[in-house]
Amino acid sequence: RQQRSRRLRQLRRLALGQGDFQLRDTAGAARSKADFLGRWVLLYFGFTHCPDVCPEELEKLSRAVELLERDPALPPLQPLFVTVDPERDDAAALQRYLRDFHPRLLGLTGTPEQVRAAASAFRVYVSAGPRDADGDYVVDHSVLTFLVDPDGVFRDCYGRSRTAEEVARSVRGHMDAYEPLPP
Amino acid sequence: CSGMAAPTKAERTACWGARDEFWQCLDSHGDDAAKCEKLRRAFESRCPQQWVKHFDKRRDFLKYKKKLETEGYSPPEAAGKA
Repeated sequence: RQQRSRRLRQLRRLALGQGDFQLRDTAGAARSKADFLGRWVLLYFGFTHCPDVCPEELEKLSRAVELLERDPALPPLQPLFVTVDPERDDAAALQRYLRDFHPRLLGLTGTPEQVRAAASAFRVYVSAGPRDADGDYVVDHSVLTFLVDPDGVFRDCYGRSRTAEEVARSVRGHMDAYEPLPP
Repeated sequence: CSGMAAPTKAERTACWGARDEFWQCLDSHGDDAAKCEKLRRAFESRCPQQWVKHFDKRRDFLKYKKKLETEGYSPPEAAGKA
């Protein structure tokens, strides 16, 4: 019915507006959520000067993606890393940091305003701590990995307590249950 | 800009190793930091100062959490006006 397809088009517009971002990847290309439509996305917010949590969560994310890649029947999954420390985490810093993790893990950075907007769109708490004598600081932030479906609809989020296997199992469940919004 | 690059994976691993050695020493000496000075210095030399602070807080938190789990929670005594 016309009403149903109007409703679905509304949902698609809402999905694009919800959790959208305007950032730059490590090759310098502008990226927004629209660029990732058609793929599942697993997105983590962190920073390269992070003492322990971010490397651990990125290991976990990488492992979850690897587990899912083993099944060729599953749709493609794009891992993303968004910095919460744009002052220090430029493209070069992100490239250096992310090469220790999944080869397809893509880093996104931007101006402080763009990063603030992206974090806000995902309701991620970000708070840079005080600088020490060397100008070093840590950034306190929510530790969450978000799952976004190929229509750009937010589907789930995973915290510290989930293992890679649990994340993979959950993502697979969402993939199996997924019904695309009609164009 | 602090001008310092973020620690590499190798540097992270070395820092975590030094931290774990220091913490193991504390564990076997009832948290007597005086008995673990050498490992403390090694830990501080292997990790950015910000990380040392972070891990010190983490250790305090873990100890507190353990205390809650084993002893249960007792509210601080009201010893007059603070």
